[in-house]
Amino acid sequence: MLKLVDLRVSYGRDQILNGIDLEVKDGESLAVIGESGAGKTTLGLSLMRLAEGDIRGQVYLDGEELLSLPESSMRDIRGRRMSMAFQNANNALNPVHDVLGQVMEPLLAHGIVDKPQARERAEDSLTRCGLDPDKFSAYPHQLSGGEQQRVLIAMALVSEPELIILDEPVSSLDAASRAGIIELLQGIRGSSTMIIVTHDISSAAHLADRVASLYAGRIMELGATTDVLSSPKHPYTRALLRSYPNMTTVKDLQGIKGRLVRPVPGCPFHPRCTQAIAVCAQEIPELRACEGRAVACHRGGVVTLLETRNISKAFGQTRAVDSVSLDIVGGETLALVGQSGSGKTTLARAIVGLLEADSGELYFEGQRVDSRDKEFYKQVQMVSQNPGESLSHRLTVRELVMEPLDIQGIGNGEERQQKVVRVLEEVELPTGEAFLDTYPHHLSGGEMQRVAIARALVLDPKLLIADEPTAFLDSSVQAKILRLLLTLQEQRGLSMLFITHDIAMARKVSDRIAVMLDGRIVEQGPANRVVTEPRHPYTQQLIGTASHLHLWGDGDRLHHTHTQQE
Amino acid sequence: MHISMRREVSRSHSGRFGIGLLALITAMALFAPLLAGYDPLVQSTAAFQPPSAGHLLGTNHVGQDIWSQLVYGARTSLLVGFTVASIATLLSAIIGAASALIGGLFDRITMRIVDAFIVIPILIIMVLLAAYLKPSLWVLIVMLSLLSWQGGARTVRAQSLSLKERMHVSAARCFGAGRWYLIRRHILPDLSPILVVGFIHSLRRAVFLEAGLAFIGIADPGTVSWGMMMKKALDFSYMDAWTWWLIPAGVALSLTIVAITFIGHAMEPAMDPRLRKEVEGEAIA
Amino acid sequence: MRSIRTICSRSASRFGLLGRVLGAQNITTYIIALAIILTLNFLLPRLMPGDPLMAIYGDEALVQMSPQLQANLVERFALDQSLWQQFGAYLKGLFTGDLGYSYYYNAPVFDVILGRLPWTLLLVGLSLVLSTFVGVFLGIESGWRRGSRLDRSMLAGMMSLNGFPDFFIGTVLLLVFGVTLGLLPLSGAMTPYSGLSGGALLLDVLKHLVLPLTALTLAHVAAAYLLTRNTMITVLKEPFMLTARAKGLSPRVLKYRHAGRNSMLPVLTMTGVWVGVMITGTLFIEIIFSYPGLGYLMYEALLFRDHVVIQGVLLLVATAVLAVNLLVDLAYTRVDPRVGYAH
Repeated sequence: MLKLVDLRVSYGRDQILNGIDLEVKDGESLAVIGESGAGKTTLGLSLMRLAEGDIRGQVYLDGEELLSLPESSMRDIRGRRMSMAFQNANNALNPVHDVLGQVMEPLLAHGIVDKPQARERAEDSLTRCGLDPDKFSAYPHQLSGGEQQRVLIAMALVSEPELIILDEPVSSLDAASRAGIIELLQGIRGSSTMIIVTHDISSAAHLADRVASLYAGRIMELGATTDVLSSPKHPYTRALLRSYPNMTTVKDLQGIKGRLVRPVPGCPFHPRCTQAIAVCAQEIPELRACEGRAVACHRGGVVTLLETRNISKAFGQTRAVDSVSLDIVGGETLALVGQSGSGKTTLARAIVGLLEADSGELYFEGQRVDSRDKEFYKQVQMVSQNPGESLSHRLTVRELVMEPLDIQGIGNGEERQQKVVRVLEEVELPTGEAFLDTYPHHLSGGEMQRVAIARALVLDPKLLIADEPTAFLDSSVQAKILRLLLTLQEQRGLSMLFITHDIAMARKVSDRIAVMLDGRIVEQGPANRVVTEPRHPYTQQLIGTASHLHLWGDGDRLHHTHTQQE
Repeated sequence: MHISMRREVSRSHSGRFGIGLLALITAMALFAPLLAGYDPLVQSTAAFQPPSAGHLLGTNHVGQDIWSQLVYGARTSLLVGFTVASIATLLSAIIGAASALIGGLFDRITMRIVDAFIVIPILIIMVLLAAYLKPSLWVLIVMLSLLSWQGGARTVRAQSLSLKERMHVSAARCFGAGRWYLIRRHILPDLSPILVVGFIHSLRRAVFLEAGLAFIGIADPGTVSWGMMMKKALDFSYMDAWTWWLIPAGVALSLTIVAITFIGHAMEPAMDPRLRKEVEGEAIA
Repeated sequence: MRSIRTICSRSASRFGLLGRVLGAQNITTYIIALAIILTLNFLLPRLMPGDPLMAIYGDEALVQMSPQLQANLVERFALDQSLWQQFGAYLKGLFTGDLGYSYYYNAPVFDVILGRLPWTLLLVGLSLVLSTFVGVFLGIESGWRRGSRLDRSMLAGMMSLNGFPDFFIGTVLLLVFGVTLGLLPLSGAMTPYSGLSGGALLLDVLKHLVLPLTALTLAHVAAAYLLTRNTMITVLKEPFMLTARAKGLSPRVLKYRHAGRNSMLPVLTMTGVWVGVMITGTLFIEIIFSYPGLGYLMYEALLFRDHVVIQGVLLLVATAVLAVNLLVDLAYTRVDPRVGYAH
């Protein structure tokens, strides 16, 4: 019933909305999520033609085009067929008029009913929105924030509009009011068509059938709420969800590199996207359908980097790796968790080519990998447990980090030196001559592992396989290394296959977890789901025996069932 | 939030106009001896002479040259205006800030007295005082100053109170800054916009009152005042002389006040950012 | 009843710096102000060197008084006794309406003042109402159209008008319409000895009222206009205006019921101050037009050095101004719901 065609809004020289195409069906509720500067509020306002600036394109309400209507007709539609409830940030209600009068106003202004009936309907609307009848004749400043928001919503609903737009309905409210308003809005769902504009993803999750993520004036992803929010396909949506503090996500928060800059040629997100390719800077990607939703990405969303299909390897009778199928997408961390002897390292070595798998196939970026050539090693690198062993004690730091470049024959001496310095900065190591000439056995454990990581990074790989990278380190050092790996993922879009026996650690750094037992993957899924609702008994056992510091209350201090875990 | 008063005023049309006009009048006052042809107080027998080459604006009822009176009148108005405004602003700054920083009983008592004075019309009190004291120019200036600082004091106090609680002041205190350092480095600079605005308001009122009092007849007889010129001219309104006698004085006075008003208007957006213009088209402000 | 102080300090935060300046008026304030004026009135003449009777009444008056009258006055006002007793006598005199005796008008000061009061009330009252209404209306329209040519020219016009002192405007009007064009009378409130009544009398009064009223109104309309326009500009940016527009309300309703109603509040707050300003203006206007009100009375008394009359007028005027301020404060609480009794 609402259709937006190529909606563009500019204010002066700023292009706020850059071609929005959207369709909303009758009774549907759509949430538009994004951060400040994305243009969400402008989108809401433009539908009502209340936005400042130049509006172009078409907006169809039940087939009627709104942007070409004269202002008087638009005024007729506002408050009657389409209404908007604003964020209650101070003063959204006129302070000198009582609340009931303000709710009655749309009815009277549009001549829908006469005064006594308007009063009745307004009271009815306020009651449905949960406002105490004693407060009907109150003035806005006498009401709490939650109550004022209810008034605003009642005011938007009173004329029974076809479409209601809500701008940040709960953002400025305290927790109790927030719950009440969300409940109220859930009650309206289905009977009105709703568009909710918000930066608060959890309210979007509770209130919307579909969600669209907006960045720099363009829609990046559009699809059913459960789909988009549980497995986002667009790099921006994914990054947004990763940065959003909520009670369900277990991975540490990560930001997005760079900052919002506009205007930008091509895809508006490409300067901050870790999987951008040449065409991203040239052409603006259109919203294209992809697996039940629409994504605006030249690469069709987040790309699948590595895929193993039925890889198996046996040593004599023991099947170390038994038909393992895994996949890793760009910029994500897959944790492979299992005890020693489960076959994790064998799998890693098989992927990297140190061992020959008995059967199964490996695909990288959709192409089958038959032999591991230099090109392969430019994309996939590995960091092992013990840096003391993997770093030759005969070579200096400089020589160690430069080694991959020497082997691959990349650049000349000068360029290689520069790359070495850059990558050492990235892993937060000194870059002075003194350090470069040091031998690894003079370094601490943490420093050695950083050198190993630097070495792995110098070829700019897309995938890093980290095999128990912190096993030999103290926990305070370990924390810093993990922090570093997350930062590298944020800045470079580095994917990781993170192998560990410690599920407590895995949950802090991984997007998805795969649990391995006796060579087989017994469970895999999103990290927060695996950790809070493990399905396989082995996973449950792993979680039960993992480290807990639940030292209050009267629970068992060593063992916890997974249901008691927070 | 950064307010640059100088920038606000110099950027706006009304500000530039006001400053230019005021500068012109100030120049007229400063160069009065050069510009006037005669001693404005010297009487002659050539009364009610229309404008001529010798007397640019003619002569008044006792043969004094009106043009000379006009330029010297500027001196009186501006002297009284600027002096009263300076003293009043200084007093308002000191008392307002002291009230805010000392607080307690001192603050409460001071503010009660200040409020009482704000409500009473200044002119009425001046009339009463003048009836008994027969003021000379300097007594007039002192009396006006003593009645003009109250409004500004309230504003300064309010701003000082708010500044006292500002984060950057708290931060400086956390470094161990003493009271005088705080006043000098953190409070005074943020007070200057308010003081400048207060100065302009006091200036406007002082110029107006000086002329008004002279109009009623309360002035130093040894000085030339535009107000007095206007009153005298009014007394002889049946003669045609008022066109070159009353009008120039009135216009000169009005232009001075208009100039000050325009400068004040230019400062408003600096004080209340909500008034800032958004659209390019506003030529006046 | 909630303390007026909290009331005004709340309105203070609503209107920024201006509000904070005017914020904390309190009955005590008015009482103190009254006390200051009473004290000034009382002390000044008595602090002058020489005979207190001469200081209070002025030397001219004294010449005209018989020794009998002088002795009577000395006794009535305890002028030969201590300052405290004099103060007591002074206050007693005030409460009984005895403001002294005017030698020039040969009548009790109280009666003289009462005779002149209605004309000043008429002039000031009408002028206040007119200038406020016109100023607010133009301010709303101007603020609504901010930046347009109409707004810019009206703003420039009003700001310039604001610069012209009321006595200049009055003088010009008198000279142009009265002297040169001879359209309207030059002085007085009515044509003397005309024996008119009813409608003709009304017309006569109005004819005499037009010029002074116009002068006073013109001089003060700019203040209401500028304040309303400024407030309108800030109010239009408030979120509730967007809410109102989203309801599809007509421009007229938005301008007046929503924005206008909010923009009027500072005007109401300032009315108390403006009365004081207007009293000052009336003084000048009455002088210029020889309009027989309190201002002209004050001027005459100053001229003829009839000190008692000056004191009497001053007292009355100051009290009136204070009373109006108090009324305005009370009225404000009814008009701005954020500041009222309701809870």
